[in-house]
Amino acid sequence: MSTYIITIGTFIVIQAIAACGLNVIIGYAGQVSLGHAAFVGIGAYSTALLATKAGLSFWAALPCVISISALIGMLLGLPSLRLREDFLAITTIGINFIIEAIFNYIPFFGGALGIGGIPKIILFGIKLKGLAFFFLCLFFLIIVLLVCWWFTRSWAGLACFAMREEESAASSMGISPVRFKLLAFVVGTCMAGLSGALYAHYITFISASDFSFPFSILLLCMIVIGGMGTLWGPLLGALILGALPEIFRPLEDYRILFYTIMLLLMIRFQPGGLLGENMVIRRMLAKVFPGV
Amino acid sequence: MEQPLLEVQELSKHFGGLVALDHVNFDVMSGEILGLIGPNGAGKTVCFNLISGVYKPTSGKILFNGQRTDGAAPHQIAKEGIGRTFQIVKPFASLSVLENVLVAQGISRYDSFPRMWSAWKSKSETTEGLRILERVGLADIADRKAGLLPLGNLRRLEIARALIIGSKLLLLDESFSGLRHEEVTRLEDLIRSIRKDGIAVLLIEHNMRVAMGLSERLVVLDHGGKIAEGSPDEIQQNEKVIEAYLGRKETEDAA
Repeated sequence: MSTYIITIGTFIVIQAIAACGLNVIIGYAGQVSLGHAAFVGIGAYSTALLATKAGLSFWAALPCVISISALIGMLLGLPSLRLREDFLAITTIGINFIIEAIFNYIPFFGGALGIGGIPKIILFGIKLKGLAFFFLCLFFLIIVLLVCWWFTRSWAGLACFAMREEESAASSMGISPVRFKLLAFVVGTCMAGLSGALYAHYITFISASDFSFPFSILLLCMIVIGGMGTLWGPLLGALILGALPEIFRPLEDYRILFYTIMLLLMIRFQPGGLLGENMVIRRMLAKVFPGV
Repeated sequence: MEQPLLEVQELSKHFGGLVALDHVNFDVMSGEILGLIGPNGAGKTVCFNLISGVYKPTSGKILFNGQRTDGAAPHQIAKEGIGRTFQIVKPFASLSVLENVLVAQGISRYDSFPRMWSAWKSKSETTEGLRILERVGLADIADRKAGLLPLGNLRRLEIARALIIGSKLLLLDESFSGLRHEEVTRLEDLIRSIRKDGIAVLLIEHNMRVAMGLSERLVVLDHGGKIAEGSPDEIQQNEKVIEAYLGRKETEDAA
């Protein structure tokens, strides 16, 4: 039972890292990306290849994985970020499918068989499993949250917020939209890459379908439910969407129905997300303790 | 002769077959208030968008301080010291009034990678922001969300942001439209005080009384071309202007 909970907890933390990255792109910079899973996949595949083919340890590979994620994020972001709103969303969906197809059909990436035999992470000579691995993921999540927190407090973050609200007004204030969209996109894809690297080492076997479009949508749901543009929103969203299916396992057949109802309720009653502006929790507290 | 602050030379802009601006020339001298007037669709806002870099000219030149700026992007032109407002206000709706102003205060940091990572919520920046808000009369609602403000306040918020950017030249696009009478008077006083600081103002205005009262010189556009230029008195007497803008002589007499 306890291993079961740790496993679920680990997946939640790994997904929360990716969701934080998506939150930087959508929540902070306002660029709707629906292909975030592809960048998790890029992180996972580059880790897997570096570990199995080049024999690099997780720690040695990590800087490379982050750089690869950043580089590919930049290469794909540069042309796509010139598009606006719905066009960008559609382009990023396309990116997701293309990258999944590349993993699936090119033998170098293991083809349909995926890549197996990815070693566990070793720290101080100890193979990290179970709780130890969970804490490693938690450690990285804390770093990611710190980066997000710093981002929102920095001028770069303020520039992104301004751009999200009114691009033309922001550019009349010295903010280059291309530069800050790309910056947010690269920060977001780095976090996705990190999440993918942890995932690959945890599960030790990856295949293209792990990073398909529905996973991108799951990440999007996490930040919508938790609260787009908030610091803790992605974490709360990952917690809810990671834990609820387990709690309601007997209702598995109705999972998609349940997600749909939840999303519709959110959009109707709490469009900013649970931790977003005018949050329902605060309103309820205000009713119980008026005047506080 | 003194070097003009802004020189618009033979400026043209075509949108496909539509000639929005056709070989327009005018100068803005430093520290003057120049009114840009003309009927709807005359090309005034197009002209603003060309000066501020939103559009690239089809032909012609724009010089600011003797340097070519046509073809530069809006964020580069902002850095030169040209601030602008928008005809349809564009606040950063979910940010507070103070944060809206702070965005503008960060202008020198947005193209320096190391400097963009420091914190924007600092005491000195906040004090500076409040000082600007004080000047436009918004200091008491600094914490309010910009998206919830009435139009009059939003217009002043835009001027506050533009003031920080526009250390040399302000482009005001119909800042008076939709304002109540007392707000108009306050804004006129504000613009005169901006001019006293040595900042040149180029304003598009539909309210004739305001345009005539504020501007030292006026440029009149009609159908994309410049039809007149001169002092308010000269413009009021100009036959072409009266015909194109104020209506034909008979209707004026009837009124």
